[in-house]
Amino acid sequence: MKIRKREKMLKYISRRLAYTLFLILFVSITVYFIFDLLPVDPARLICSKQCTPQIVEANRHKLGLDVPVLEQWWRFIQGLFSGRTYGDGEVSFSCPAPAFGYSYSRHECVTTMIGKAFPVTFSLALGAFILWISVGVSLGILAARKKGKFADRASSVFVLVGTSLPTFITGILVVLFIVLQFNLVNPLELGDWANPFTDPFGWLKAFFFPCATLALSYAATYTRFTRSNVIETSSEDYIRTARAKGLSEKVILRKHTLRAALAPIATIAGLDFAGLLGGAIITEGIFGLNGLGKMSITAVLETYDLPVIVATTLIASTFLVVMNLIVDILYAFLDPRVRQS
Amino acid sequence: MSVKKMTARRLIASLSAVALATGVVTMGATSGANAAVEKPYTGGTLFYYTHADNFPNLDPTRMYTGRDIALFGSYLMRTLVTYKPAVGPAGTTLVADLATNTGVPTNKAKNWTFTLRPGVTWEDGSAITCADVKYGWSRTFAIDIYQEGPTYPISWLDIPTLDDGSSAYKGPYLKTGQALFDKSITCSADNRTIKFNLKRSVPDFNYYMTYLSAGPVPAKKDTGEKYDLRPFASGPYKIEKNVSGEEMVLVRNTKWSKASDPVRTPYPDEVVFKFGLNEDVRDDIIMNDSIANGVSLDSLQLANNITFFKSTNPKDAARRMNNYDPYVTYLTANNSAGRVDCLEVRKAIFFAINNKALIDLSGGLEFYGDMGDGIVKPLLGADYAPTTGNIHDPNFKIEGNPDYAKTLLAEAKTKCPATYDRATNPDKGLVYIRPDTASSKKTAVLVQAAMEKAGIVLKYQYEAQGTYNAKLEEFKKTSDLFSSGWGPDWANASTVIPELWGEGCCNYTNNKKTPEYTAFIAKVNKALVELDRKKQSAMWKELNQYGMDQYWFVRTVFGKSQQTWGSKVGGVYYWDAQGSFGFGQLYVKY
Repeated sequence: MKIRKREKMLKYISRRLAYTLFLILFVSITVYFIFDLLPVDPARLICSKQCTPQIVEANRHKLGLDVPVLEQWWRFIQGLFSGRTYGDGEVSFSCPAPAFGYSYSRHECVTTMIGKAFPVTFSLALGAFILWISVGVSLGILAARKKGKFADRASSVFVLVGTSLPTFITGILVVLFIVLQFNLVNPLELGDWANPFTDPFGWLKAFFFPCATLALSYAATYTRFTRSNVIETSSEDYIRTARAKGLSEKVILRKHTLRAALAPIATIAGLDFAGLLGGAIITEGIFGLNGLGKMSITAVLETYDLPVIVATTLIASTFLVVMNLIVDILYAFLDPRVRQS
Repeated sequence: MSVKKMTARRLIASLSAVALATGVVTMGATSGANAAVEKPYTGGTLFYYTHADNFPNLDPTRMYTGRDIALFGSYLMRTLVTYKPAVGPAGTTLVADLATNTGVPTNKAKNWTFTLRPGVTWEDGSAITCADVKYGWSRTFAIDIYQEGPTYPISWLDIPTLDDGSSAYKGPYLKTGQALFDKSITCSADNRTIKFNLKRSVPDFNYYMTYLSAGPVPAKKDTGEKYDLRPFASGPYKIEKNVSGEEMVLVRNTKWSKASDPVRTPYPDEVVFKFGLNEDVRDDIIMNDSIANGVSLDSLQLANNITFFKSTNPKDAARRMNNYDPYVTYLTANNSAGRVDCLEVRKAIFFAINNKALIDLSGGLEFYGDMGDGIVKPLLGADYAPTTGNIHDPNFKIEGNPDYAKTLLAEAKTKCPATYDRATNPDKGLVYIRPDTASSKKTAVLVQAAMEKAGIVLKYQYEAQGTYNAKLEEFKKTSDLFSSGWGPDWANASTVIPELWGEGCCNYTNNKKTPEYTAFIAKVNKALVELDRKKQSAMWKELNQYGMDQYWFVRTVFGKSQQTWGSKVGGVYYWDAQGSFGFGQLYVKY
């Protein structure tokens, strides 16, 4: 029986992995087609004011837009495995695999740009995640246990404030009235960050306020969600039975209530974290952090940098799809009912 | 159009070299500039900061914005000729830089000769030679790689043009037509004298030599596309570090010598550019002077701009200046056949616009500039003369004159009924394309209200701001009205009238099939090759008047720009020639 269950699980995982791969490929081809359909000519965008038809055509060739969109996409896929060469003759240059393309506005291989930006986004996402989970879940549990009392009401105020204030407001307020007002960071160094392993204090200085800003609204949401989940689970029959058997509230909470109450929270937390790995656009922009979010929004709004747009879109969707898969698999391990189904 | 919008690549590309030839006219710039008084300090770190993630281009072949040419021409790269770094009209004079003089024209300015100074070197100590200048010029022809910079070399050098309009020379990498290029620019045996052979007379050729794209590039250091990250220096500084979104650091070029460079005065030990600042953070720095040894490369956001510039605090007054910039912003009426090809309708639009409301929306005349009376701005000195008609017409009212506009429309009804119908029929209307921004939409409401009073129907279409300028060529086919801006490449209307109304790059709206236009073009082309500067100035004035009489542009504005800096920055002045700070003279006060 055990072997059959393991086989079933492996088949499930394989099917999901294949589906995930297909979805990523589908997203990549869709992105290419969407940008092909947009009424923007990137070849004209990088032209100077003395723009002739010959120069526009040269641009089109340089950007690889002079071939059908399906071939553009296929070159992109090939580049992921074997790298890409740009230009001709003595001024040609290469981007090694996995080549997401070349940014002519930044003069860098997109893979290199992602390599620099992702640790920033990951730091921000991880720091915020730790903060919002620890604050949100703890407050939620406290509020549920002290339902109707001061702690519960105080947490309601926190939830109201946290969910009402959008990140762009909180961020600007924090930067202008805390960080700069009290000279906590040199404004020209806002966004400069350090390696957490070699300079943990420098890393903390760069990320504390951005993480706190980003975590605020999530923490508020998770407080409310945890509170309602714990209250709901606490009223289940098996909890009443445990109580009747004489177990202490602490033991009931730890061994029975939380496991059931936090399982759905784990699912959502995983997806929220994955969503942030694609870039927290507003927070990165306000605090000057050069992460994937800032990179992608600059590419869309200011430079119309197509390779960067394609790469960041693909990466963001990949994180979500992969995290969805991981969460589903973990959920199957956590919840015996899902395993049996 | 705001200064911030003016930094859009296609527009601003045209800026910078505004020089006053003779009979200087300045327009009463107000300035907290502190160039004159104290003795400059040497040493320290000078900061520049900006919202942008990087400079559009550092490669001299690709650089076309006035500010960047002024900035990197002061610090990194030298040219054969430059503008004198001085306040006011003196700063518009050409002076020799790498060359021994400002150029010697012969053969009716079809040939120009320059000789390099002795002792001019690159950052590795090697000599700058004629071959380097020639190589720099050749890169412009590699249009498959370099598209952003000026293309005057392609238009001017005596190299045949192919049937498809492209040059027979394809640049130093493909080398097709190399022999033709080698004949068009020749070097002396000692590699110090350069001779340019042009296909026509270019009397203002040496003004183009102030452009970094006309300067030298060493072939052995050319990294093609990557040169845009790390160009080789010939100036008093070189790049130590350049990371997009973070910073660029310039340190002293130890191979540069003051003896070979009478122009530059590199005071700071280090120059640091900080990129990617949030706009509110940037404005906070400026307004609170929290980086006293820093200079903002951006303007303040509008509300903050008004607050800071209206502040009566003398410390704020000492850190700001408000000057006429080189740009003219305009609203063009497409007079192609089937569009607004009716003079009376164009005039009606002109007189109907409520300019006062638009000026108030931008913070008032103090920040907006003046209503223009042509496309040649007074800063161009000898080429400018006030026109007659348009804003000088007794029927012109700053708040709009819908009654007079109606009179003009009544004339249009009989003279050009088809255009009249399009302009007044609620089911049709004139197509007005605008950038899709919040401020643009506010402007649109005001323009719409004014047109409605006159009985003119507008249909708005919005184009994403990031792609607006790239699509100006297409608007010619699809719109009746659209806005844009222009600045001369140097102090000659030869870089304005031919480009906007002639056969240059950016004439989007002219009805080229009419005999009147053909005659106009012939006059423009004659003015371009006129060697007598006074005669040429007279021709430009006449052509400017003609264009305004046709109301090809139904609104022009002579814009202003504001600059700010920290309290520990000295040597500040507005460099008229470049429409920017005189960057090379800035220093850090202790």
